[in-house]
Amino acid sequence: MKIPPHQRLRLANGLKLILLPRADVPLIAVDAIVRGGARLDPEALAGLASVTADMLTRGAGARDAFAFADAVEGAGGSLDAGAHAEAVGLHAVFLRRDRALMLELLADALQRPRFDVSELDRVRERRIEFIKATKDSEPQSLIGNYGRALLFGAHPFAKPIGGSERSLAALQPKDLQHYARDHLGADRTTLVFGGDFDVDELGAEVEAAFGGWRAAKLPLPPLTEAPRVRGRRVRLIDAPESTQTYFWIGNIGVARSYPQRAALEITNTAFGGSFGSMLMQALRVRSGLSYSASSGFRRASVPAEFSIGSFTETPSTTQAVTIALETLDALKRENLGKRAIDSARSYILGQYPQGLETAADWATALAELDLYDLPDSTIDEFPDALRGVDAEQSRQVIAGAFPDSDDVDIVLIGDAAKIRTEAASFGTLSERSLAAPEYS
Amino acid sequence: MVTPPPTSGHPRAFHEAASQVQTHQLANGLTLLVWPNHNIPSVSLHNWVRAGSRNEGGGRTGLAHFFEHMMFNGTSHRARGEFDRLMEAEGGSNNAFTSQDVTVYQDWFPSSALELVFELESDRIANLAFEPDVVENERKVVWSERRMRVDDSNAALLEEQVQATAFQVHPYRIPTIGWPQDIESWTLDDLQDFYRTYYAPNNCTLIVVGDVEPARVFALAERTFGVIPRGRAPPPVELEEPEQRGERRTSLARPGQNPLLQLAWHAIRASDVRQPALNVLQTILVGGDASRLHRSLVEEQRLAVAIGGGWSEGFDPNVFVLHATLSEGGDTQVLEAAIDAQLARVVAKGITEAELRRAKNLAAADFWRGVATIDGKARMLGEYAVMHGDHRHLFTAPAAYERVTLEDVQRIARTVFEPQRRTVGVLQPTAEAFCEESVLDEADA
Repeated sequence: MKIPPHQRLRLANGLKLILLPRADVPLIAVDAIVRGGARLDPEALAGLASVTADMLTRGAGARDAFAFADAVEGAGGSLDAGAHAEAVGLHAVFLRRDRALMLELLADALQRPRFDVSELDRVRERRIEFIKATKDSEPQSLIGNYGRALLFGAHPFAKPIGGSERSLAALQPKDLQHYARDHLGADRTTLVFGGDFDVDELGAEVEAAFGGWRAAKLPLPPLTEAPRVRGRRVRLIDAPESTQTYFWIGNIGVARSYPQRAALEITNTAFGGSFGSMLMQALRVRSGLSYSASSGFRRASVPAEFSIGSFTETPSTTQAVTIALETLDALKRENLGKRAIDSARSYILGQYPQGLETAADWATALAELDLYDLPDSTIDEFPDALRGVDAEQSRQVIAGAFPDSDDVDIVLIGDAAKIRTEAASFGTLSERSLAAPEYS
Repeated sequence: MVTPPPTSGHPRAFHEAASQVQTHQLANGLTLLVWPNHNIPSVSLHNWVRAGSRNEGGGRTGLAHFFEHMMFNGTSHRARGEFDRLMEAEGGSNNAFTSQDVTVYQDWFPSSALELVFELESDRIANLAFEPDVVENERKVVWSERRMRVDDSNAALLEEQVQATAFQVHPYRIPTIGWPQDIESWTLDDLQDFYRTYYAPNNCTLIVVGDVEPARVFALAERTFGVIPRGRAPPPVELEEPEQRGERRTSLARPGQNPLLQLAWHAIRASDVRQPALNVLQTILVGGDASRLHRSLVEEQRLAVAIGGGWSEGFDPNVFVLHATLSEGGDTQVLEAAIDAQLARVVAKGITEAELRRAKNLAAADFWRGVATIDGKARMLGEYAVMHGDHRHLFTAPAAYERVTLEDVQRIARTVFEPQRRTVGVLQPTAEAFCEESVLDEADA
């Protein structure tokens, strides 16, 4: 599969535009990315980029928050805004006939957000309460935040992208206005449209709607690389009466531009990225210790984390964590055989067309390439790259990208009274309460 | 903001798509639906088995869900693990889910693996193995799943209690994952009985969407599934929930920070002609930031931080549920009164034309998003074929939504939001278990 025909344009103000027409269903999707994102949040204001993104759609241009939501939903559309570590993004899907409305809302959100004080007050309160409610009903979904806080230390990736209870409470309207002034602008933005439209018409409409947008006030600062951790640290997050221990094992991995990406994907698929993977076999199929176990490398322009995640009944905490670490040892010691590599290769080749099925999928994929400055060959030549991966390349990836089990940070969310001693047996222990208003 | 109805979509293309779906029934009763689509070289295959927690009885709850696990654990022809190993090696992945009504097995694979997938799927319908040690291992896995999904989740624990309170007779009272004591007590005999009863070709509907030719799919099905004998018709679920004659309440106290409120009213079944009207009502009440309850209770009155809801479209009438999360220290009684006031307004005065238009437009857009992928097509075909009784209703669904009137919505609101037919669940957090201070500082900090 190759990237379908598309056009790339650049407006005079620096805004990049990618247009990928396709008329199989009467929908238009757009991905807008504005470089910057949560990595720019000041230390005490984690969540700033994320809340700013949220507020872009809660009142903009002539519409207050209610009118904006009415306009989107009244047309049967969707328009969601959010942030990740390196960008603020908007994703919208509208029916073809509502193209003009879609552009108007997108342009208002990016160029004319209102940042109403009372609206911010509501958003902030709700987000703080959501974090608490998540701790009550889905604590495992927060474990990555605890893991990154420990692993990245002073690096920007340590901060929770959505903020913590403490940092969210500190956010003021002026912080959002400064973020928008400094970090939102045409020179930072790429718009990728996919769907049922005429390229010339839409190109002209985008020019009219975005051609007058200013640049961001500040240049985008460079992002440094975080050092890998040596030795073992254990962070225990006390969740009284939890019936299970949820665990995370991580270290710094590799960048999105890692040259041996095909070998990396094959190796991780075999290690913890599929049902037949080594981790699933060890923790679920052979031992029955857990419902699920997985591993992955988070994508970013500088190395982000590699992590393993799983959970088990409280009394089997030591056994399950030990098996996870031993499975990593086995990968490092024995590498992957031809059969495992062949299987993972087929699996990825067989699955990836379904991730690139719709015009909206392609818009998202092209936006990602653009964000990380990757060439089209990243997609177009990926199948061939996969076909070329051999045992030696996988061995190099295992040696270079996967950590030794002696050099990892471990986070456990569980009933500390029952697992504190066991937790300490894995490394230097520190402890926090799940109810504490921050992740570090 | 009101925009006109989406009459200008691709009605012709869609009408043509409807005629592309081909159906076939094997002599043993297996029903097949095939929707060819060659956008990508991939296939989605969903096998809908009419077995859910609705088919379970006392002391044996969770069996349908346990089967979802066992179906990956080997047959008399293939050792445990072979199913996934073979499928992944050919580029396929798979999963399954169990509901109160059905268990659905899903495979996503390149079209080159079609034959293998049919062999694997028919093998596990015909020849499932029951090794005692495998059963015991899987029992532990299911326990782990229950602890994650339910026991460590205040919201799920409350939902389980509300469902068990709202239904006293009908098996919709049963949690699909099973009551803890039952997970411990299934025997090999129970499993074999359940398998023989429900895992027969005549109890399955096979949906195949993607890069395939229908004639080849039908031939493959004849060769693989066709050799499996028809089973006896599973016993019908004849239990009917008697009319609820007074409000029921249930409460939980759990470690945590946020109070939760859930309300459940007895509603309708999937195949009810009022289904589009109830879905429109659901969108108007809780669908999106412009919905009534979100706007009033979350944004304006700030009595809750989130409110959502919906109903499970089942073979039998299920409940319509609203679930709300309150701020720490929030008052569930005040929120409940505010919800009552909002619902009373809908019942007394109905909804507006703008609200109706918005809900219809959202339904239309959802529909187009759904059919944009082969997996979405497979899911929607399956829902209409199995839960609504006829896959052709999928293609008339957009028109059915367009026909819903203001009066239809008010009428279904009046029918559902009957105070004496509701169950109220409240979870109050007990904060003392949580201590905000770190009890141990980092040794090397």
